Amino acid sequence: MFPDRHARSFLDAAVLSRLAAVPLFARKPMVGAVSGRHPSPYRGSSVEFAEYRKYVPGDDLRRLDWRAYGRSDRFYVKEFEADTNLRCCLVLDTSGSMDFGSTGITKIEYARRVAGALGYLALLQGDAVGLSCVANGIVRNIPPRRNPAHLTTVFDILEQAKPQNETQLAPVLHELAETIRQRALIIILSDFFVEPELLRGCFQHLRFRKHDVAAFHLLDPQELGFTFRRPMRFLDMEGGPAVFAEPNEIADRYLKVLEEYLVQIKQIMLESAMDYHRVTIDEDYEKVLTRFLVGRTRAKGAR
Amino acid sequence: MSFIAPTLLAALPLVALPIIIHLINQRRFQTIRWGAMMFLLAANRLSRGYARLRQWLIMAFRMLAIAGLIFAIARPLASGWLGLTAGGRPDTTIVLLDRSPSMQETGPGGGSTKLETGRQRLVQALKMLGSSHWVLVDSTTNKAVEIESPDGLINSPASESASSASDLPAMLQAAHDYIQANKSGRTEIWICSDLRENDWDSESGRWQTLRESFREFPQGVRFHLLAYPQTTSENVAIRVTDVRRLQTSEAAELFLSLKLTRTPLLDSTSANSRGPDSKISIPIQFEIDGARSEMTIEMEGTQFELKDHRIPLERSHERGWGRVSIPADANLADNEFCFVFDRPVPRVAIILADDSQAARPLELAAAISPDPSVTTSAEIIGEEQLTTVEWEKVSLLVWQSPLPKGQTANIVKSFVERGGQALFLPPATPGPEQLFGVGWKKWVAEPEEITVDNFRGDQDLLANTQSGAALPVGQLQIRRYAELSTELSVEAFTPLASVRGGKPLLARATTPRGGAYFLATTPAPGDSSLATGGVVLYVLVQRALAAGAGVLSSTRQFVAGAQPEDDPATWQRITGDERAISTEFPFHRGVYAAGERLLAVNRPAAEDQAPVMADQRVSELFRGLDYSRVNDQAGSLGSLIQEIWRLFLAAMIVALIVEAGLCLPKLARARESLLKSEPEGFKA
Repeated sequence: MFPDRHARSFLDAAVLSRLAAVPLFARKPMVGAVSGRHPSPYRGSSVEFAEYRKYVPGDDLRRLDWRAYGRSDRFYVKEFEADTNLRCCLVLDTSGSMDFGSTGITKIEYARRVAGALGYLALLQGDAVGLSCVANGIVRNIPPRRNPAHLTTVFDILEQAKPQNETQLAPVLHELAETIRQRALIIILSDFFVEPELLRGCFQHLRFRKHDVAAFHLLDPQELGFTFRRPMRFLDMEGGPAVFAEPNEIADRYLKVLEEYLVQIKQIMLESAMDYHRVTIDEDYEKVLTRFLVGRTRAKGAR
Repeated sequence: MSFIAPTLLAALPLVALPIIIHLINQRRFQTIRWGAMMFLLAANRLSRGYARLRQWLIMAFRMLAIAGLIFAIARPLASGWLGLTAGGRPDTTIVLLDRSPSMQETGPGGGSTKLETGRQRLVQALKMLGSSHWVLVDSTTNKAVEIESPDGLINSPASESASSASDLPAMLQAAHDYIQANKSGRTEIWICSDLRENDWDSESGRWQTLRESFREFPQGVRFHLLAYPQTTSENVAIRVTDVRRLQTSEAAELFLSLKLTRTPLLDSTSANSRGPDSKISIPIQFEIDGARSEMTIEMEGTQFELKDHRIPLERSHERGWGRVSIPADANLADNEFCFVFDRPVPRVAIILADDSQAARPLELAAAISPDPSVTTSAEIIGEEQLTTVEWEKVSLLVWQSPLPKGQTANIVKSFVERGGQALFLPPATPGPEQLFGVGWKKWVAEPEEITVDNFRGDQDLLANTQSGAALPVGQLQIRRYAELSTELSVEAFTPLASVRGGKPLLARATTPRGGAYFLATTPAPGDSSLATGGVVLYVLVQRALAAGAGVLSSTRQFVAGAQPEDDPATWQRITGDERAISTEFPFHRGVYAAGERLLAVNRPAAEDQAPVMADQRVSELFRGLDYSRVNDQAGSLGSLIQEIWRLFLAAMIVALIVEAGLCLPKLARARESLLKSEPEGFKA
């Protein structure tokens, strides 16, 4: 499981073994290099009958259905669904705001755990795993590979990811949409502290490229509740100006703005057919992942 | 508004505590590294109007709560007594209690009288305010008496109602003397009165002096007037104006003359008011030595007089007492009048005259009885017989001779001192002697006859007749008169009639008791027409005789509050106010036996229809003094001053509740549930 036998802080063998029971499915047909668990847009050699097709010269005679010929005196080729593997691209937001965490765990740490587990699970079922760390640009990017040794690299990068710089999610997502080959599973782990309207374009772009996109929206309970009592000076983690505020005075408006933002982002995610998960980081990530995997199992099957 | 513990108001700066805490809180902020800056910045851009307002409101309510608490513990008082105790507890509190009969008036719904209500109010208020010394000046004795506590006002006999009128200037003088004698510190004077003109005597010159003397006190004297100026409802007062016992050969009868006075409602618009012209019937009850009879009269207008109502008596019943009463109305104190009667005392006049021409008319005037039931006699004597006269039977001494000296003067003085009347006429040759500070100067002979310029028709010997007609004094012709001399700096006499140039013709010397009159001319034909126009001389002599006889009579009508001759402690009550203690008998209506004599004590006539002073007049009386006034009503239930700390405490609680309401995060729960809702994964 760990080729280098090097224990990673963000991996828990027990959790991984429990999660391994649920396969990771794609919601859309994927294009893979080898056979795997996922549906493919092409005909292939699985046991699942797809259709009869008229023989055209050049077709392999071995695939001719002689019985059909016997009944109808016509040549038909029997076709089967293809099962393939997928390319799983993990997109990890490493902007400064990901370093925030009020419950003993930061968002980036939480994201590491989720990404690590998903990467491991994907590789376990023979899928290729890649990782992009993004902040104000693409910081690190390794393309998906299904080589188990590749996982070590992924984990290394995860481990080394440092939250810094501001969030420039929109241009980065556009770039990724273009650079990742069509029909991949893209899992975004971010706090999405970007204008929701900017994200709409990115998600549409990803969808257009026939990617199956899942988004983990990581939020800290403190950010949701804004439960401060004393006057606070808020230092921007992404290098912006500091803000002095009286929580009693501003909480109302903060919560109002936050609520509007959450409603809007949910709306955009829905419209862009994203697999959206808002996660409060005090929640157990195993539960979140279970919910994610089980949810995808139900959605599986579309070709 | 005033406070019982105003020193606690020094804590008022604590009201600023919320602001200070707020400022301190602002200074000890925390710094945090924060990711979700976009929301903070957006929130900052949003209108902060309401939030800012809410902050200020919360602060204001917190301050209000503290202010409420501080005010509550300072024990505020709600009352009309503005500026009541600024400066805290007074050293001395003097209560001036008007106990006159008019204070016995009840309120519109009956119940307590003005005096009772006033007393209750004072006790409540004074107890609350506290003081080091309590002093009561009641309206009968006008003496300042220290009392233990305000409760003394309720129980003390010196605060019960009396039949005598009050003399507010004298009461204030007593208060003034008390302050001066005891060197009291800050003093509060509380006056409880119904502002009747006869009690206040607002025209009196004493007020000016009082004002000035009170102003001179350096420690500050504060006046509080608890006034009951309302005349609440219709009230009828009854009074006996005359009582005579007449005896004929067959029977004896008592002739009573009554006067009823009615106070109409001032407010004629009220529904149940009856104008002064409406007719009311009043049953009058007569009680003679306990035997009762009744008579109903119809009364119209404000006054009703019943002349010589006859009540048959036993022939043997020569001396006794009686009482007239009417049913209870707004004022119980004026519904009853006591009287005493007796066979008239023989009126004896002693005439000592140099000039027989003058003596004869005087003798005739004194000897002819005005009434068949009254026996009168006059005797002309020489000066040497003076020592042999039975002075205890003499009513009038007429002295037309040089003024007495030495032993003789002492006899005359003691006669006047016991209540006898003396009329002095100038001798033929006036000497330098003086009696009662008055002596004769030389005769002034006028070239032609002169008349009396003015005379006092309102009282004393030359007063108008009962029907109101003036005596024909103006018709008198004076040919010769002697001037009066006096050596005393103050006026030794009061002129009752004077001729041209203000020279007195008839004067009354100032004596504590009895009467000493100086007539500046004689009835001799050469001196004046007193003898020929005999009416004036006759009336004059007979009135003096009657007054002198009144003292000798074994019965006496007595105006409450007047100084009795003997010690009232020896009196025995026959009927009257049960609550009155013996030393106070002269101030309470009733019939008393003093040895052999019967005394009827009644309220003064002025009480029956005393006008209430105008507000402006009252404030003029206290001009320049620290004075506050509150009007009250008889029978009103509320307290004069009320502690209203509860109100402030309630205000504090309300402020705290509102503050808490404002502090609550708006719809926090609803929003929280929204944020915490488990977001299901959205599926394509």
